[in-house]
Amino acid sequence: MPKLTHTRRQFIAGAAIAAGGAAGGFPAVSRAAEPVKIACICGLSGVNSPVAPAVVQSGQLAVAELNEKGGILGRKVELLPIDDNSDASGAVKAFNSAIYDKKVNIIIAYETSAARNAGEPIAARANMPYIYTSPYEGGACGANLFIDGWVPPQVEIPLLKYMVDEKNLKSWYAIGSDYAFGRGIIDFAVKEIKSLGGTVVGEDFNPLSSSDWEPIFTKVRGEKPEAIIYCTSNGSPNATFLKQYKSTGLDLPVGSFSIDELTALKIGESAEGVLYTADYFTSLDNPQNEAYLAAMNKMFGSKLLTPSNLSVPEYDAIHIYALAAEKVKSVEAAAIIKTLPTVSFKGPRGVIQMDKEHHAALPIYLAQIQKDGSSKVIKSFGLIDPGNQCPKFS
Amino acid sequence: MLTHALDIVTSAGILYVVALGLLIIFGVLKIINLAHSAFLAIGGYVAVVATEFHVSLWYAIPIALIIGIVIGAILEATVLRPLYARPLDTILATWGISIVVVQLITLIFGRETQFAASPITGAISIGDITYSEYRIILLGLALVLGAIMVFLFQATELGLSARAVIMNEGLAQAMGINTRFVRFFTFCAGAALATMAGALITPLVSIEPNMGLPWLINAFMLVLVAGSSVISLGWATLGLGGAQVLVSTFINPIIGGLTIIVLSVLVLRARKTL
Repeated sequence: MPKLTHTRRQFIAGAAIAAGGAAGGFPAVSRAAEPVKIACICGLSGVNSPVAPAVVQSGQLAVAELNEKGGILGRKVELLPIDDNSDASGAVKAFNSAIYDKKVNIIIAYETSAARNAGEPIAARANMPYIYTSPYEGGACGANLFIDGWVPPQVEIPLLKYMVDEKNLKSWYAIGSDYAFGRGIIDFAVKEIKSLGGTVVGEDFNPLSSSDWEPIFTKVRGEKPEAIIYCTSNGSPNATFLKQYKSTGLDLPVGSFSIDELTALKIGESAEGVLYTADYFTSLDNPQNEAYLAAMNKMFGSKLLTPSNLSVPEYDAIHIYALAAEKVKSVEAAAIIKTLPTVSFKGPRGVIQMDKEHHAALPIYLAQIQKDGSSKVIKSFGLIDPGNQCPKFS
Repeated sequence: MLTHALDIVTSAGILYVVALGLLIIFGVLKIINLAHSAFLAIGGYVAVVATEFHVSLWYAIPIALIIGIVIGAILEATVLRPLYARPLDTILATWGISIVVVQLITLIFGRETQFAASPITGAISIGDITYSEYRIILLGLALVLGAIMVFLFQATELGLSARAVIMNEGLAQAMGINTRFVRFFTFCAGAALATMAGALITPLVSIEPNMGLPWLINAFMLVLVAGSSVISLGWATLGLGGAQVLVSTFINPIIGGLTIIVLSVLVLRARKTL
């Protein structure tokens, strides 16, 4: 694991501020040797906590790889994991701390939508480049904001087409968590099911703070749908949802937009049979993925947390940032923001370039969770476009 | 219809199990135990450790109970006993205990969510519907616990002493009742009921250091409505918990989440004396 070391110069600079209470700028010379700082803001506590440590590991590997090759523009790269408590108020603190206290060069963050919505205005005001690496509900646009995770058209259309058309499931119950991600994803799913010729017999949202899904399952029982589609936040709410669903004895096909490989493994048997689409699975057969997994294994050994489509985008995004900085020969914010969409990186998921209105076209696969919690890829849909997320950047 | 009825009684059962420890401490000691949520978390983490050692939850539950007794005994003797003359300070003290416990859990287990294995994941058939077996079991446990509590309070000497302390502690002491022991015993029992409840709810929820907080607020309102009687707690959970289920089902779960708090405030407002 790379240590977050501080140079003596930083220490002296810090001491100077502490002693003088001055916040004036340092001469450019002393800054040139400072490391390039990447803030990995994520929910190390709160609902995203089962996933966030894996995101940090992915980031640590990318940074170690960059440092091995001499860093970015000859400067050492440093990853600063910052906890945002998976929520809006935590994100405000985390963003302010990253930008004004830690003075990072870029934010590459895996967060809940609530945290992103709270953090993005802070980053935008500071003109801070911000790569958001979570799958999300779509439509987040900012001149400084780039996204390399999936948006609804990329995973929802393939999954629902498969279940409605190929599996001939026509009557649906849609369940979500009551916040931007859950609502956005489920709204899209309901429209998509209808346009595929299916019907939605019920739609319900549970507060993020609630761990009781039973009243909703009782309604599901009454409406007798043929299948269920759900979207909680990533991580632990999937577990409460699926555990309680399993115990109802309802045995309907379930599609999920919030589960990932790692969480499914932790949940195990209660997640058996769930279908979901994603842009990454550990079983993907390509040289970049093999190299990535081997390097992760070597770096973390027994401490390795299973990588998933939630953690790999952090790895890709850091490499994309490095490529952009090398291309424009600067880490200056405006230059980076201009260059980010012009570079592509071939990572474990394939070639990623955030040139589709600040979003990326992604390869999408369909998987089914097995009895032991592992995810088995059963279909590949090829490269899928994110659609028109931010027409003003087209 | 049957499912709605089952939802109501099982939700009430779960709330009863969770709130019971808070109620007996409030009833006898007149202390609002804000460490209740931390005790719930301790129980949850007992289940996590049991899962790690591949021990069934059925064994984790009595272990949680014993750990609760030990923790209750230590805290009563060291923190709470000196504060009995200053009831307001006990609120601060128990809140402090809760912060310390949650931080200790975070230090040992980390902040991330953990999962405990459930002994029962399936459903049973009742009439023509299937229903969560574990929720039915929890309902049964709630009834058994309630019966034990009623028996302890009504049919034992200790219960008689406890009731005397509830009614008038000064007079009870003057009559020769060892109120200090009654207080000690009650706090241990309340803490143990809380840790046990924490382990019992793990098949339904995921476990993190603050897992008890959402439960604390509802339990607190229910206890304020129920006062000091284990039987009225039953009616309170059935009434308010039932209302929550009905609102969640027929209106929506978001308003359902507020039902217990809003109704409790209305009940307390309408009631002339506590």
